[in-house]
Amino acid sequence: MNRITLYIIIFLALFSCKKSDPPVSSYQPTPYQIVIPFRFPTQLNIPDDNPMTVEGIELGRMLFYDGRISGSAHPDSMMTCATCHLQSRSFECGIDHPKYTGGHPFGVTGIPTPHYMMPMINLVWTHTGYLWNGKIYPDNPAPGIRHLEDLVWMAIIAPHEMNSDTNKAKILIQSISGYPEMFQKAFGSSTVTVRNMGKAIAQFVRTLISADSKFDSYLKGEVQLMPNELNGYVLFMTEQGGDCFHCHGGEGNPLFTTNLFYNNGKDSVFTDPRDRYQVSGDPSDIGAYKAPTLRNLIFTAPYMHDGRFKTIDEVIDFYSSGLVWSPYVNPLMHHISSGGNQLTPAKKADLKAFLLTLTDSSFVNNPAFGMPDLP
Amino acid sequence: MNAPIRSTWIAIFGILFLTAFILNGCKKEDPAPPTPPDFGGISIQFNHVFNGIPLVLDSLAWSDDFGNEFEVNELQYFISDVRLHLHGGGAYQIGSSDGIHYVDARIPASHQWYPGDQIPSATYDSVSFTFGLSAVKNLSNRFPDPPERDMFWPELLGGGYHYMKLNTKWKNDSVPELRPFMMHLGIGQIYDLNKPDSIIGFVQNFFFVKLDSSAFTIEAGKQKALVITMHLDRWFDGPPNAFNLAILPQGIMQNQPLMHEVCLNGRGVFTCQLPTAN
Repeated sequence: MNRITLYIIIFLALFSCKKSDPPVSSYQPTPYQIVIPFRFPTQLNIPDDNPMTVEGIELGRMLFYDGRISGSAHPDSMMTCATCHLQSRSFECGIDHPKYTGGHPFGVTGIPTPHYMMPMINLVWTHTGYLWNGKIYPDNPAPGIRHLEDLVWMAIIAPHEMNSDTNKAKILIQSISGYPEMFQKAFGSSTVTVRNMGKAIAQFVRTLISADSKFDSYLKGEVQLMPNELNGYVLFMTEQGGDCFHCHGGEGNPLFTTNLFYNNGKDSVFTDPRDRYQVSGDPSDIGAYKAPTLRNLIFTAPYMHDGRFKTIDEVIDFYSSGLVWSPYVNPLMHHISSGGNQLTPAKKADLKAFLLTLTDSSFVNNPAFGMPDLP
Repeated sequence: MNAPIRSTWIAIFGILFLTAFILNGCKKEDPAPPTPPDFGGISIQFNHVFNGIPLVLDSLAWSDDFGNEFEVNELQYFISDVRLHLHGGGAYQIGSSDGIHYVDARIPASHQWYPGDQIPSATYDSVSFTFGLSAVKNLSNRFPDPPERDMFWPELLGGGYHYMKLNTKWKNDSVPELRPFMMHLGIGQIYDLNKPDSIIGFVQNFFFVKLDSSAFTIEAGKQKALVITMHLDRWFDGPPNAFNLAILPQGIMQNQPLMHEVCLNGRGVFTCQLPTAN
C-alpha cells in the first residue's frame, strides 16, 4: 500500500463517520413559564404558534410602550398601547386621565372608541373571546380577528385608535436600531412583521397577572379581613345578599369574573351594534356584555361598557335599586322585579369595603410591567 | 475404551445434554390460542325534554298546571358515582376522574360521555348514580377551570359545587313581564331562627338515583350506548311536589326546605333507555 492510498483511507475513516455539528443558530429563545397563582385556573390561553419566551416578552414590553408602532415618529400623531392602558390604572385609562376626559379614550383622529375600556389583566385565562362582546375568538370565521395577537394590527389601523397602516408601522420599527436584533432573538428573524409585533405584545400582555390583593392573602390564610369587609364578602357570596358571585366569581373562581356574557339590566332599549348579540346571533344575548373582573376596581373607573357609572358607589346603587326590566335580562338578575337587591346603606358600605380588598397595589407598581428604556 | 477417552466422551455428552436442557428450558412457550377480551365499552347520551319534547333553550315554550309559561335559559348539573347493576346482583362503577360528569345544555360535547372501554362484559339491568356530588367528592376547589369551576358553591353556604343550576324565566296573565326563577341545588344550610344571618349547620342534599331499564349486555370488545333523559317538567310538577313559580321566591339556594322538596322531585326526573338502533 503506497502512502497516498494510506492517506485516503485515513481521511475517509476520520471524516466519513464523523457526526456533523448542529448548525449554529442565534435563535435560542428562553422559555418563560407562567407561575399559576393560588387557586387560579390551570388552563392558559397561549396559542401553540406563540409560546412565551423571555425575549418575546421583553420585545413586547418595548413595543407596548413605544409610540412609534403607530407608524409615526411625530409627537402629535404617535400613539401606543400605553397611551390608554396605564399601569397605574390597572392598564385601563382611568377616569382621571389627563387627555381622555372621563375615561373615554379616542384615537389620533379624535374619534372615540366604541366602548369604554375593559380591564386588561389576567387575560391569559380568557377563553371566551376578547373585548366586551368577545368578538376576538378562535373560531371566528373572519380570519385575523381570532387571538389576542390580532388586537395589535386592529389597533394600528382603527380610526378610533392609531389610524395608521401596518406597513408604515413595521417599516418604522424596522428602521430603529435595536429592534431588528430583538426580533431576531425573539422570533429567529430580524425582519419586522406586524404578525410578530402582535405576538410579542400579546406575550407581554399575558404576563400582566394581578393576584396579590388583600383578599388573595386572606384566601391563603395570611391575613384576616376586617369585620366590615367580611360582612361585604358575605353579601357578595349570597343569593339573598348582593348575589355578585354567580357572574363575578369568588373564592372558587378568584379571577372575579366568569368571562361570560350577561344582560345585567342596565337598559330596556338596545341599539348598540357591538353587543354580544352581534357576535353570537343569539337573541338572548341582546344587550349582553362580558362580566369584567372586579380586581383593582378602585383604579378602573368609569364602569360598564359605556362608562355610565363614575364610582363604585354608583355601581352598587345600580345593582341595589336601578335595574331595568327587559325580556333579555339574564335570569341571574333575579332581583329584577324589585329593581335590585335592595341593600341598606350600611350593607352597601360593607360590600364596597369588600370590593376594595381586591386591590392589588403591587401590580400597579411592578417595575416588570412599567415603561422600559426604548431602543 | 481407556479411562481418559471415556472421561472425555462423558464430558462431551454432559455438555451437550446440559446445553440441550438449557436451550429447551429457555424456549418460549407456544402462545395460547387468543381469547376474546373480557371487557367492552359504554357511551352515555344525556337528553333533556320538557313534557316529552326536546328542550329548546330561551324558548317560551313550556307551561305548567298553574297557568305559568316559562323558558329555560341555563341547565348545568353534575352526576357522579355512576354504576351499572349486574343482572342477578352486584354492580360496577364506571368512569375515571372519580366518576364525575358535568352536563351543560349549552355545551353539546357534554351531552355525550364515554366512561371507558373496560366495562366487564356481562348482562346488566339498571343504572344508578348520585345526582350532584356526594359529601366525599364535593370538595371545594377541585375544579380550577371552567366550565365546572363556575359551578362553585360559596364556602359560607357549605362549599363544594352546585349540583345543578337550572335558570328559568316565567310569566302568567297577572305577571306579563318575564321574571327569573333560579333552581339551584347544592349543600343546604340550617339557620338559627333567632339570628337569621347565622348558619348553625349544613345539609347534604345529593341524592341517589336508580334507573331500571331493559336488560342490556356489554359484549366483549364492543361499545354499548345508553341514553339518560332528564324530564325537566318533573322538577317543577313532581311527583311528589308541584311548584307554582308565581308564589316561589326567585331563588332557593338559601332555602333548605324548598331545596329538600325539589330534591324529592329529582328522584323521579331521570329515565334510562337503550337507543332503538342499539
